[in-house]
Amino acid sequence: MDNLAKKLRTDAQAIDCAVSEDLDDRIRASLQGITPEPLASSKPKSFSFWFASSLTGVAAAAAFIAIANLRTPETVVTPPMPTPTAFVLPMIELKAKTAVLTAPLEQEIKDLQSDIKKAEEAVKQDIDRLF
Amino acid sequence: MSNENSLIEAAKRGSATAFTDLVGGYREGLLRFLLTRSSSYADAEDALQDTLINAYRYLHSYDRRWRFSTWLYRIAINNVVRLKSVDTVEIGDIHDEGNDPLAHCIAASDRENLWQCARRELTDEVYSAMWLRYVEDMSVKDISTVLDRSASWTKVNLMRGRKTLDAEFNKSTAEDKSKAYG
Repeated sequence: MDNLAKKLRTDAQAIDCAVSEDLDDRIRASLQGITPEPLASSKPKSFSFWFASSLTGVAAAAAFIAIANLRTPETVVTPPMPTPTAFVLPMIELKAKTAVLTAPLEQEIKDLQSDIKKAEEAVKQDIDRLF
Repeated sequence: MSNENSLIEAAKRGSATAFTDLVGGYREGLLRFLLTRSSSYADAEDALQDTLINAYRYLHSYDRRWRFSTWLYRIAINNVVRLKSVDTVEIGDIHDEGNDPLAHCIAASDRENLWQCARRELTDEVYSAMWLRYVEDMSVKDISTVLDRSASWTKVNLMRGRKTLDAEFNKSTAEDKSKAYG
C-alpha cells in the first residue's frame, strides 16, 4: 500500500461517526413492518392457453388475408416529370494547381502519431503498475 | 461467507433479525460513506435507513455472483442519487464549512482531511470510486459494478482521482514545511 492509500484510509477512519441506538431502533422497527417481496415467478402456461393463443393467431391471419383479397388493386399514375430544358448552367473553368508542399505536414503527422503512441503506452504502464 | 449465505437465506424467508445480523458489519461503513455525501448528519442517517429497508425489501433480487457489500453500496449510491434532487449536496458545492457534517465529524488535525479535499476536487462518481477502492478495498471490477461503469472507465478515473489528491496532499505538505522553516 502506498503513502496516499494509507493517508486515505487513515483519514476515512478519522471521520468519527457511529450508528446511534436511536437510529438502530428506528431501523429495526422499520424492518419489522416490511416483508421481502418475492420474485415474480413465471408459472408454466397451460395447454388451453396455448390452444386459445393459436386459434386467435390463425383467425387474425385469415381475416387479414380475406380483407387483402377483397380490395381491388390500385393503379398508381405518376405524372410525367418536366425535363429542365430552359436552364443550362454555364461551365466554370477551374484553375487549380496540385499542392506539392505536403511533405513537411506528413512528417509532422507522423511525429504527432508517434508522440500519441508513446503517451498511450506511458499511461497504460502507469495504470498497470497501480492496479 | 457460509454464515452470510445462511443469513441471506433466513432474511429472504422474512427474518428481520437475520437481516439485521447480516448488515450489522456494514452499517457503520455505509453511514460513514453516506455522511460524506449528505448535507447533514440526519440526512445520512435517513439515507442509511432507506438503503437497509430497500435491501431487505428487494433481497430476492440479490445476485450471489456479487459480493453482498457491492450490492449494498450500489443501493446506497442509488439512494444518494435519488435524494440529491431533494436535499443532498453536490460534491464540490460545499463551501460553508459550518454546515458541512463531515467537518463536524473529523477530529482536529494539523492538515486537511483528504476526503474533504476529495469532496472539493472530485466529481461524485470519482469520489465514490476512490472511497470504494481505498476505504472499502473493493476491486476495480466490483467498483465498476457498483457505479455501473466499465472497468477501463473505473481504472482511468481512479488514476485521475489519485493524481488530483496526490497533488493536493503534496501541496499542503510543502506549505506546512515552508511554515515550519519560516
